Parts: sequence; C-alpha cells; structure tokens
Amino acid sequence: MNAFSRLGRQLASYWHQFRTVIAGEYRAIFTDPGVLLILVFALLIYSTLYSLAYGSEVLRNVPIGVVDESRTSSSRMLTDAFDAGPNTVVAYEPTDMKEAERLFFDRKIYGVVYIPEDYERRLLGGSQANVALYVDASYFLMYRQVFQELVTTIGRTGAMVEFQRLIARGADIPQATAVTQPVIYQAENLFNPYLGYGSFVMPAIIIVIIQQTMLIGIGMIGGTWREFGLYRKLCPPGRRRMSTLPIVAGKALVYASVYAVTSLYILDLHYRLFHFPMNGAAGTVAAFMIPYLLACITMGIAVSTLFRYREQSIMLLLWTSIPILMLSGASFPREAIPEWLYALGQVFPSSHGVNAFIRIRSMGASFAEVLPEIRTLWIMTIVYGAMACFGIHRILRREPCERGGEE
Amino acid sequence: MRGYLQDTYDVLCREVRRLVRQPMYWLLLVVLPLVSFAFFAVLFREGVARNIPVAVLDEDRTALSRKAAQMIDETPTVLVAYGIQDMAEGERMMREGRIAAVVQIPEFFEKNILSNRQTTLRAYISGANISVNGLLSKDIQTAVTTFAAGIQIQLLTKQGLTERQAMAQLMPVRFDRHVLFNPYINYGYYLSPSFMPMMLMIFTVMATIFTIGTELKHSTAGEWLATARGSVGAALAGKLLPVLTVLFLMSLVMLCFIFGVVGTPLNGSVWVLVASSLLFVLSYQAIGIFMIAVLSNLRLALSLGGGYSVLAFTFSGLTFPIMAMWPAMRVVSRFFPFTYYTDVFVDQALRGAPVRCSLPDMGCMALFIVLPFLCLPRLRRICTDKKFWGRL
Repeated sequence: MNAFSRLGRQLASYWHQFRTVIAGEYRAIFTDPGVLLILVFALLIYSTLYSLAYGSEVLRNVPIGVVDESRTSSSRMLTDAFDAGPNTVVAYEPTDMKEAERLFFDRKIYGVVYIPEDYERRLLGGSQANVALYVDASYFLMYRQVFQELVTTIGRTGAMVEFQRLIARGADIPQATAVTQPVIYQAENLFNPYLGYGSFVMPAIIIVIIQQTMLIGIGMIGGTWREFGLYRKLCPPGRRRMSTLPIVAGKALVYASVYAVTSLYILDLHYRLFHFPMNGAAGTVAAFMIPYLLACITMGIAVSTLFRYREQSIMLLLWTSIPILMLSGASFPREAIPEWLYALGQVFPSSHGVNAFIRIRSMGASFAEVLPEIRTLWIMTIVYGAMACFGIHRILRREPCERGGEE
Repeated sequence: MRGYLQDTYDVLCREVRRLVRQPMYWLLLVVLPLVSFAFFAVLFREGVARNIPVAVLDEDRTALSRKAAQMIDETPTVLVAYGIQDMAEGERMMREGRIAAVVQIPEFFEKNILSNRQTTLRAYISGANISVNGLLSKDIQTAVTTFAAGIQIQLLTKQGLTERQAMAQLMPVRFDRHVLFNPYINYGYYLSPSFMPMMLMIFTVMATIFTIGTELKHSTAGEWLATARGSVGAALAGKLLPVLTVLFLMSLVMLCFIFGVVGTPLNGSVWVLVASSLLFVLSYQAIGIFMIAVLSNLRLALSLGGGYSVLAFTFSGLTFPIMAMWPAMRVVSRFFPFTYYTDVFVDQALRGAPVRCSLPDMGCMALFIVLPFLCLPRLRRICTDKKFWGRL
C-alpha cells in the first residue's frame, strides 16, 4: 500500500515537472527573439533565401567568344551552331587570341573557340580540320555547360560532314548513317531531368538546416538554463532536485511540436512553391521524419548540457554547418571524400537523413528501401537520448534545488 | 592625436588582458579556425571522385557488349559494380542508394554492329546529385564514343581506307581541349579557396560581435569607454586591433593551407591576395560592429550575424553562378564581401588575371569598412546609456 502511494506520489511529481518543463520551454522559445529566430524562423528564412538564389535552377546562355581566322561559310556555320545551342551564346567575335584573353579576364566570356585559317580548306579537302577549345574550369557549372555544348556541336558538325562525304563517295543513306554513327548514345537523367541546381541541393540543405538549428537553438536554451540556474528555480516544492526523465521528455516534446509545424510547411507548401521533386509516399516521409527529428532533438539536448552560457552554442556550432553538409556526401561526391572522414560523419543524424531523404523525396524510394537509414536514426535516438539523460542528470546533481529561492 | 593614440593603446592593453583570460577567444580565433582549415584540407585532399558504382544491364551478352561495358568500367569515375537482369532491379538499386547509373546494352547489339546497322546504347543516370551526374555522363559518353570510333575505323579500313584516312573520315572536325586554370578539374582547387574563407569569416563575425557584446551583457561598456577617455573611435580601434591582428595572421595561415597543403595553383599576385585577405577580415569586422551596434543585444546580434555570414557562400556564385540567378538575387549577391573576395581569389590564384581585374573587387570590400563610422554615435549611446546593458 505504502509502495503504491509512493509510486503515485512519484508519478504525480513527474507529471508536475513534465508540465512545468513544457511550459517553461515554450516560454523560453517564444519570449526570446534570439531563440525564436533560430528554432522557428531560421528554417523558414534559410529555405526561402536559398531556394530563391537557386530559383532559376539551370545555367543557360553562357557567353563565349569565337576567334574565327578562317572567315568562311563553313566556319560561319560552326559559329552559328555554337550560338544556337541552349547553353552557350557567342557574345563576342574577337579578332585575335590577345583580345579574347582580355575579354576573358574581364569576365565578359567564359570560353574561347579558335577556328584556324585552314579550317574550310581541310574540311573540303577531306582531311581533318582542327578547332581549339579554351574552357574556363575555375567555375564548375560554367565549365560543364560550355564544354558539353561545344563538344556536342562539333560532334554534330563533324557527323554531318562525314555523312556528306560518304554519300558523295556513293554510299546509300542507311549505310552512311551506320558508318557515321554505329552506336547511338542516349543518356537520360533520372529524377531531375533538367539537372536543376535547386532540386539537387535544396533537399540536403533543408535536412542539414533542421539539424543545425536544433543543435544551436536547443544549445542556446540549455546554456540559458545553466546561466540562470533555471534547473533550481523550476524545482517543484518538496523535492531535493528535479528528475531527469521529465526534463528530457518535456523538452523533446516541445521541440518536436515546433519542428513538426515548420517542417510540414517546408515539406509541403515550400516544396510546391519552388517546384522541388515531391516523390515518395506521405507515410514514408513521415516514417522518416519522426526518427530524424527525434535523433536531432536528443542529440541537441545531449550537446546542450555542455554549454554554460547562452551564446556559446551559436559561436561554437555555427561553423560546423558547412562541414556537416559536405560530409553528408550530397553535394560533394562521397567517392571523393576520404573513407575515414566519411565514416566519422556518420555520427550526425544529418548524414543518414540527407541520404534517405533525397532517395525518398527525389527518387521516390519506398519505406523498405530506406529501412537501413530509418533503423539507424532510431538507434541514434536511443543512444543520444541516453546521453541526453546522462548529461541532464549530471547537471542536476551539481545544481540542487534552492530552498526558499527568489522569484 | 597624441591623446587619441594613448587612449587606443590603453584600450588595447585592457583588451589583450581580456582576450587572454577568456577561453572563448582562444577557441574562436585560433583553435577552431585551424581545425576547420585542416578539415577542408583533408576533405579535398583527393579532389576528384573515382569509382562511382554503376550497374550494367547487358541484354546482348556477347563479346562486343562485354567490350563496351569494360570500356565504360575503365574510365576513371565509373566502377561497374553490378551486372543486373532487368531495369526494375536497376531502379530498385538506385533507390536504395547503391548505384548512381544504369547502362543498358540492348539485344542484338553485336549483330547490328557487325551487319552495319545502327544500334542504341542507353544510360540512365541519376540527376539527384548533379556533380556525380556530370562526372558519370562525361565518362560514359567518352567511353561510348571511343567504342563507336573503334568500330567505325574497322568498317572504314574494311572499305580500303588507311587508318589515317579513316580517322579523318570519322572525325572531320577534331578539337584540342584546353582546360584553363584547373587542368585536372580538381574540386579541391576551387572549393578550398571558397570554404576556408567561409570559416574565417564566420569566426571573424562571431568574435567581433562577442568582444563588443560581452561589454554590454556584463555591463562593462562604461568601463570600456572610460578607458578610452570617452573616445568611441579609440575604444573601437583599441578593441578591434588585437582581434584583427590574430585573424589576419589566421588568414595567412589559411593561404598556406590553400596553396601549400591543398596545392591550389597560384598564378597571380600573392600580394593582391594578402591585401584582399586583410580587407576581407576588416569588412566582416565592420559588419560585426554594425550588427551589435544596431541590435545592442549580444545573442540577437550573434544569431543575425551568423545567419548573414552563412548565406554568403550561396550568393558568391562559386557553385551556382551569379549569372544564372534571378536579377533580384544578383543584386542581393553584391551585399556580401565574400562575393568579392572569391572573385579576387579566382582571378589571382586560378586565372592569373592582371591586377587591374581585382581592384574593383577590393574597392567594393573596402566600402563595407564605412559601416562602423556610420554607427559610431549609436555605439556611444549604447555604451553610455545603462538601459542597453545587461540585456540578454
């Protein structure tokens, strides 16, 4: 009987503390502009600003220069073909390479094609004509667009010439086609057919922002609790110190509720607004987001117990956002990352999160296909949850309740 | 003037004592910058992606189809990791994240080629990661083109052409490719000069806001101003000089990391880069002062200042060019000193452009240094009026 009433009292006290923590936590978020900015608005502001920056999705019409020493109808045709392609536009026709170089350094053009004087003569004479391409590799996307366009155009022009030569030598059309191009190569880009930059990078950025704002925001609140001794002040009367579990559970619930709202907005309305790929069943997205948010929250609480002042978390954690994004392997190819560094990056929920989220949302993977990642995220929730409890417990032991405290 | 220098010196001495005592400064100004530089140096050490797993769906299973698959496998970025039985299997493996592309070699591939009929080889490449997609499409296309050229040469030599004639026949227009400035198309060469300054910038903004913000938070702003005998200019100069010195030294360390460890080529003027680094640190200090002076709240200034710094990378146009952005976003990109700094870096380190190309960028960075002068009166007010102190 006695045991039951003790258990009842214990539970009632837990419930009381749980409610106090929840109320205190909501107050901490919504009355503190610094925290509010990070935990609520950062996700919305960043997602919008980044999406706007990448809004046009693709790079088209990169200006290039053509130095045409040949000045013949054949070279004219080649120049026009470069101009007609979607990715390049012949913005200048400098008279010599010297002038081309100047235009290039002034950032007026990002590639130069040099057509030598003997271009048409060689082409008509049945030998090989040479063209020199100078493509700037200091900006990757420029390099890719310009180079691909130039090579495709030259290939097409060459095939046309070859075809005409074969016909002239008396071949019939199917024969000439087969010799000109025995193997047709067709490449399809799956999931992101126009290779939009925003569609590629935004899912990863969003997932990393969720984790980073949580780490910084929760750390800020944790630092505030420590700095102002809130662990003592929130102590229910008649207890020596607060209990660990209600604090961790209460905090987690509050953060989860806040992020449930903001991520719902991002994953639905924001996605529609910017036309990001929205594959994957809603159930799969939810089955992924729940452990992802929980893993980030528990990690956030665990890390927050290390901070003693409110401004520490942002000063120490902000810079990690870019390294963590890189380690996820979503924007920088993971095959280029040293193996051990990539393995180290696996301690962050975002590394698994980005990987699974892109596959669900961009590729339409099913629950079973991302099960390994979801399982890992649940394991992380448990491990980081235990660390959070341990961290909070350690603080509580050091900060016993104040008797007759102020306030 | 004499008095001004003396005041500055007094503040400087006070500041150095504060810096040495507070471990946060050690972290922000020395330890974390070094850790982050080292991180990116290690991350970009390889610089190029190799052996990205793809699957081959060989419906022909002949010597020629195997030859084609082998040629694709032999390219640097592709690793043919799986042979699969049907497209459904390929799609599933892609969704499971095990492969990035499927190459489909159709039935009658060999037969068609030998009987002089066209055949089609298809590659399905995931666009979910466009940098991986770019590498794979380039290499697969090259392999297939080379494979087709081999066949063409055989066909043409059978018709009695010499190999040389055949080459001229199948490739009437040949091109010499000159990859400018980054001949190995190395990611590290252009990503480390962008990420390391990003880190330096974040720490600059954080440290600058922190050094002024703590004076407000701990209500020592009055004492600070009193040390400078009421001169806000001297107070600011004395306060920021030590931070500036350390950060400028760190920027030199950063240049050593970029050129020495990562091995980014240095084709232009190193002095322009050093001068730009100084301007870069100064401009972000100016922005930090502006933030804390206007907001007069340490944590809010840190949140906003931090938020602003992290945005800079996207708007620098290094990955997604500014040229491709919407016009309004192109204007936004002008409000980050980082944009100018990376331009200088590309010009001076990679391109070896003449110095005159970098002067406008340096001028733009210098413009940001005007900001603190605009907010001196405001700074005096928050340092004298007690109502701004002790705020959280």
